[in-house]
Amino acid sequence: MLETTSKLKGDVMFNSFKKILQYRRLTLKYPMKPLDTTFVYGKPEINTSTCNLCRECMDHCPSKAIAINSQNNMIGINIDECIFCYHCADICPVSAITITSNFELAVQKRSDLRFSPLETEKQLEEIAKAIETRSRRIFGRSLQIREVDAGSCNGCDYEINGLNNPFNDLERFGIHFVSSPRHADMLLVTGPVTRNMENALLRTYEATPDPKLVVAVGACAISGGIFKDSYAVRNGVDTLLPVDVYVPGCPPRPQAILYGILKALDRV
Amino acid sequence: MQATIDNLKHTFPEKLNTYHIQHTNELYLEIDPINIQEFCIHLQKDLEGTLVSLFANDERQLNGNFALYYVWAIRRSGFFVVLKTQLKPDNPVFQSITTPIYAANLYEREIKDLFGLIPEGHPDPRDLCFHGNWPQDLYPLRKDFDTFNQPTHTKTIDDFQRVAGEGVYEIPVGPVHAGIIEPGHFRFSVAGEPIINLEARLHYVHKGIEKLAEGLSIDKCLYLSERISGDETFANSLAYCHAIEKIAGIELSPRAAYTRLVFAELERLTSHLGDLAGICVDVAYGFAAYQFRMLRGWCYILVEELAHSRFLRNINTPGGVRQNFLHNKEKQIIDAIARIKKELNETVKILKTNALFIDRIENTGILTINAARDLNTVGPPGRASGLHFDLRKNFPYSNYNLLDFQIPKHLNGDVNCRINVKIEECYISMEIILKTLELMPQGETIRRIGNLDPYQSALGYSEAPRGENIHWVMTGENNTIYRYKIRTPSFCNWPALCWAVNGNIVPDFPLINKSFNLSYAGNDL
Repeated sequence: MLETTSKLKGDVMFNSFKKILQYRRLTLKYPMKPLDTTFVYGKPEINTSTCNLCRECMDHCPSKAIAINSQNNMIGINIDECIFCYHCADICPVSAITITSNFELAVQKRSDLRFSPLETEKQLEEIAKAIETRSRRIFGRSLQIREVDAGSCNGCDYEINGLNNPFNDLERFGIHFVSSPRHADMLLVTGPVTRNMENALLRTYEATPDPKLVVAVGACAISGGIFKDSYAVRNGVDTLLPVDVYVPGCPPRPQAILYGILKALDRV
Repeated sequence: MQATIDNLKHTFPEKLNTYHIQHTNELYLEIDPINIQEFCIHLQKDLEGTLVSLFANDERQLNGNFALYYVWAIRRSGFFVVLKTQLKPDNPVFQSITTPIYAANLYEREIKDLFGLIPEGHPDPRDLCFHGNWPQDLYPLRKDFDTFNQPTHTKTIDDFQRVAGEGVYEIPVGPVHAGIIEPGHFRFSVAGEPIINLEARLHYVHKGIEKLAEGLSIDKCLYLSERISGDETFANSLAYCHAIEKIAGIELSPRAAYTRLVFAELERLTSHLGDLAGICVDVAYGFAAYQFRMLRGWCYILVEELAHSRFLRNINTPGGVRQNFLHNKEKQIIDAIARIKKELNETVKILKTNALFIDRIENTGILTINAARDLNTVGPPGRASGLHFDLRKNFPYSNYNLLDFQIPKHLNGDVNCRINVKIEECYISMEIILKTLELMPQGETIRRIGNLDPYQSALGYSEAPRGENIHWVMTGENNTIYRYKIRTPSFCNWPALCWAVNGNIVPDFPLINKSFNLSYAGNDL
């Protein structure tokens, strides 16, 4: 009996080592080398030369992300509200919408994502203190992240989880996820901030020591996305907290989130 | 179905007002509110029915009343019985059925919070959706409530069930958890190490999806259904499309049906591999966890190559699929499946011979068959406890009836059985995909659905990776949604999880939780 057990254990060990050696390296070289984007669908763009302003896409956009500037008759997509369903590309009668493979969309100012100006100027955006370059540099060597789901559909959370898988291996940048906000330098927030999570998010923010960074991941966290203007949600994280970096996508792929995190550290 | 109608007519000669059959497998019965309990008990005891959904609908604009729908599945014969009853708005009280039929518990509390209809005699009438922070006289799913109305917070009430006694203490966990998971609050009552009672307070991610759906056009609502629960995107959009297609009365083209089937099984495979990785993480078995994460990563790569979306978004559309996604991709899929199967084989072999691992999972978190049945546990946890059903077999949709496949059955109901069910389902999914590729004909992938008649309803369903997924859609005027009731498998399985952890030690909770792997977003809506 004892012999078979020890033999079994030996087999487990041997087979495990064999497996570990079998695949040399799975980790993608991104961002040192560009990602293979053959199959990646990224930001949709409107080709203004073919567009005849029929407004078909505007009427059918599920998150009301497409806007027309009536003064100069320009049409554009507010990427902060876009849920990347590409419905507009499907229904455009003159095929003026192209799907690019650009997924590195993270920005530090929300206005950079917008075509039309925000209706209500967010006050928090103004008072958000830009963290000094020096602190960013200190964080850049080693960053601890606390993830907070404030009402996402769990798509973004799975993609954040994906940062820990062998393909992305976030720890190679000295960045890792911690269990408590008290150990964190950065909050990675997903979801539109639901009514029931408001308090918890605020308390998590308060528990995080200064200086701290906040990154809003996904269309919901930036603008409320498809859940915008519901009785049970706030429209995005910046209605409640100052946000340092916005990562659009629905959900953004792990590399897009990685790009956003590195952007917050001024490393890309 | 005729036998059931005869049976009901015979048992309740004067109480059955009207009945009609709709979309071949939905039997609608109209009864008076006073007779609800009697009918429900009869359906459960004598007709082997299972309560699979219970919801209200504000039909005051149509007939002046609120309506309640009790959806029963007669799984053995493959049809649904829907009991409909109307409540007068001036006295919105109905008889609770929770005491005889425990599965109704959370549905009735939800109806109380969102519609303000009072389940009389409910044993646990606490607030479910808003934790007490919502004004007393506002009911968001009534038609006269404005979607954009955001009333101010009143104080959150801390009304957990208390367990008292010498040495009993409470452990509060959440809503923000230690890992990268969704929010929810768990209140453990513990004596020493074993858990005496676990209460899960959910609805932290309640976003009002059902209200947002109302008034949306049919094609916009599709994108909302895709965002109910991220990792069940395809199952949810499939159930939604299924309901719309039933209302429109169109038959799917064979190629579209088979394409859906391939994606649905790929989603199951991806999800189960992720669950297995999570279980290995929770027992600190890093090697196996990384193996499964790698396998899951391969699935994502395959899915993205096929559909340009890692979460199977933007594929379904009412009437079919948006493009001919699998055109000339057969070889690619077969190669990827072969690779995944080989790696899974080898990993499972190592996993199953690891005595330390087996020691942790065997007899941990047992869910007995009686509890599973009473709580209507669905999906892999149900199948691990001996409830041998699957929508793909019992209520075949999307050409599943043309395929021959097995569904796993285990009896012990512990973490080990749930792992085994998931591993077996991975293999079955891969087999189904391969068979489908052989059977799939060429042809169109989409049929236009045209305009829908107003105030028509249908049940759409799909077997999600987590289990039975049932959506009920009622159309409004001008191709809009009047009411969209979503019931995901997680809503049924949360109480089962709370039951299964009793008597286990606290450190085993993450493991048991992961073996169920429930969606918070899908539960809270």
